[in-house]
Amino acid sequence: MPKPAANESVESLLSEAQGPAFDPAKAHIGPAFKHERQLIRARFSADGKFVAAAGLDKLIHVWDLESGKKHTLPGHATWVSSLVFHPKGRQLFTADFHGTIHCWDFATPDSKPLFTITGADANITRALAVMLDGAHVLSGGDDCTVRVWSTKDGAKVKQWPGHKGCIFSIAVHPDGKSVASGDLFGTVKHWDFATDKCVRDLDAKELHTRKEDFIADVGGVRCIAFDAKGATMVIGGLSNAESNAFCPGTPLALLFDWGTGKKTQEFKLANKSDGPINAVRFLQNGMIAGFGETQNGAQTELAFWQPDKSEPLHSLKAQSAYDLDIHPDGLRLLAPLFIPMGSGGNGAREKQKANYIPNASVVQIFNLFADPKAKDPKNAKKKA
Amino acid sequence: MRRSSECGSAEHLISRRQALGTLAGAAVGGFGLSSLMQEAVAADMKQKGKQVLFIWLDGGMSQFESWDPKPDSEFGGPFRSIKTSVPGTHISELMPDTAKIMHHLAVVRSMSTKDPNHSTGVPRMQRGDPANRGVPYPYLGAAVTKLLGFPANGLPPYIWIKPGSAGFIYQEAGFLGSKYGALALGDGKPPIHIHRPESVTDETDAARHELRRLANARFRLDRRDSEVDAYEQSYEMAVQLMKRKELFDNTRLPAKDIERYGTHPLGRHLLQARVLLEAGVQFVKVTSYHWDTHGDNFNMSQQMVPQIDKPFAAIVNDLEDRGMLDNVVVVLMSEFGRTPTINSRIGRDHWPDAWSLALAGAGINRGALIGKTTKDGAWVDGEGYDVGDLFHTVFRALGINPNKAHYDNNGQPLPIVRDDCFAIDGALA
Repeated sequence: MPKPAANESVESLLSEAQGPAFDPAKAHIGPAFKHERQLIRARFSADGKFVAAAGLDKLIHVWDLESGKKHTLPGHATWVSSLVFHPKGRQLFTADFHGTIHCWDFATPDSKPLFTITGADANITRALAVMLDGAHVLSGGDDCTVRVWSTKDGAKVKQWPGHKGCIFSIAVHPDGKSVASGDLFGTVKHWDFATDKCVRDLDAKELHTRKEDFIADVGGVRCIAFDAKGATMVIGGLSNAESNAFCPGTPLALLFDWGTGKKTQEFKLANKSDGPINAVRFLQNGMIAGFGETQNGAQTELAFWQPDKSEPLHSLKAQSAYDLDIHPDGLRLLAPLFIPMGSGGNGAREKQKANYIPNASVVQIFNLFADPKAKDPKNAKKKA
Repeated sequence: MRRSSECGSAEHLISRRQALGTLAGAAVGGFGLSSLMQEAVAADMKQKGKQVLFIWLDGGMSQFESWDPKPDSEFGGPFRSIKTSVPGTHISELMPDTAKIMHHLAVVRSMSTKDPNHSTGVPRMQRGDPANRGVPYPYLGAAVTKLLGFPANGLPPYIWIKPGSAGFIYQEAGFLGSKYGALALGDGKPPIHIHRPESVTDETDAARHELRRLANARFRLDRRDSEVDAYEQSYEMAVQLMKRKELFDNTRLPAKDIERYGTHPLGRHLLQARVLLEAGVQFVKVTSYHWDTHGDNFNMSQQMVPQIDKPFAAIVNDLEDRGMLDNVVVVLMSEFGRTPTINSRIGRDHWPDAWSLALAGAGINRGALIGKTTKDGAWVDGEGYDVGDLFHTVFRALGINPNKAHYDNNGQPLPIVRDDCFAIDGALA
């Protein structure tokens, strides 16, 4: 992959959205927003006009896609673990490693939270999702309980205990009535929002490894997504972990028939990659996109799978990513990518003290259509 | 950063001169005065009966997620720092039980070592990073066995509790000779065949031991003593252990203790270590593997650090309650710490440049917080300490003067520590 076009103008982004034809096989990198610290979550706003991203610097970074301008929200006391936009209004929900959830007016720079939920989890709140009607935000994390909060004031509405391991992911089914939550041990629970009952467990134990000599559990259902009609669900994570130290394994995404609860496909990455698939999304033609994570700052890939094939139809090489979102126009993906800053690897670095800085990230947009510049023969001539 | 080896204080200069003088005398005297001194040291130690608990977290525990959290720095992790029983000292929230016993510990936050690799780093650290003398130096357990002498109780002086395989690990003895090696208990289980078959009577057993001794004596006639010594030593240890089978009978352990230590390997092994120390085993090493968290460091640390926190606090409390903490030197460490930077797998890599370890027990300055790192946690702020300094500290805590004692390698005196290192300032009581 060529170097990301960091902080490239995004003024054309929204106008381009009117024209190009969706074609994930011709996906290419688009605008990008570089940041000097590692970001691990990034999402488009529901109206597609903003991008929010957060991670290790505890702040919430918001970019206006029309102007390219960025503003920052004060953020959290610790790393941000999850963020999700309200489907209608100007609310942005962010969660952190201390079990706190903030609700922001994301368009107002430096604003204070509209409300804050403390103790949303006994430890880390790892996942957030908003119901389709926008009335409730759901959270899940280390204490194995899905909690339902009012988006008006953050009041707790109800909670669903039942997971045996920490919850890594939550997704709302397109029917607006069902919720799926995935945990460390590879169990996906199907909840009925109205009755608060766990309808069933879906088995994805491939995404958890605990060998005899391990001293920790590795893996988990790191992400969940439904197709537009809700007929299928895709989840991602890591299978066959070889140790609990490097945690190397086989990145794996699994497709489920939501009606029967049966696994129908396994998706693999095309290139060498040893970390989990952290994020998956359905595209408008039913294809699935997923992003990998790999060691040593090497490149992994953004893979595009057809539902009936295990190997990707198309891949874009890229640095590790920890989240993936799709623009409301269906023509662009968004991911926070790792950027190595030369301080990686094992130590004994005293001589490099002056240049020892944290790794960084770029919030990268991937266009799901042919690159107009690449097609333009005039541009081609100029490049030649 | 001023390194210990560059220290120019009068006290250190005197110590170095004394050490060099002792070595010179030893070189001239051979087995003479210096050997007598060695014997005197050992006799003194035997009387005091000092013991060591050496806990090794193999792979490298993250100092950020344990002893030296920097939650507000650019390299800090997501976990909180919490107060401890020592006012002003904070450690990671992943160690709540240890926070309560901080007044028993001396935490060194300014370890700065040289080796970023496991394969070379582990032996280098456990041998005290000796200067190259052309011979393999002993690991700490073997060194202590040699320097304190074999305890009169007849129990194996050096027991290593570890996951996986068991056996007699003679390699750890280095040039001292095989008998100073470690008796490894795989997963804390007793050596195989510890139970004598019922069909073998006491008389038969005594007769067969006598036969073995006679055979050994004959065998010894044309063999190097050390080979036969090691064999006899291991056999005698086995005999003693057969008499102490109760040390491995976990059904005798109170359920409350099992709960306090935890049922995971580190919990079980540290409880086993307590039993062995209570029985009088001189040096117990407990190893836990898989701390090399290059990937998913924070999820792994969240699961793993509590596995040392709880049993470590339990055993320090138990040693204190039993009046043993004045007698047992406790060391908790890895071969290095972990990088400040967070990699593409949200892990931390190897970092010998600035990391932490903990000491407790006999001769240790309780409640001490030694050294500090820079605001971002990346580097030692002030004087850093190498593993040679740690060995000086441990030996001194055991009552061994590392500048006077030395090894005798077939007449060749060898220092027991690096002579360019010194005890860690403030670590000793």
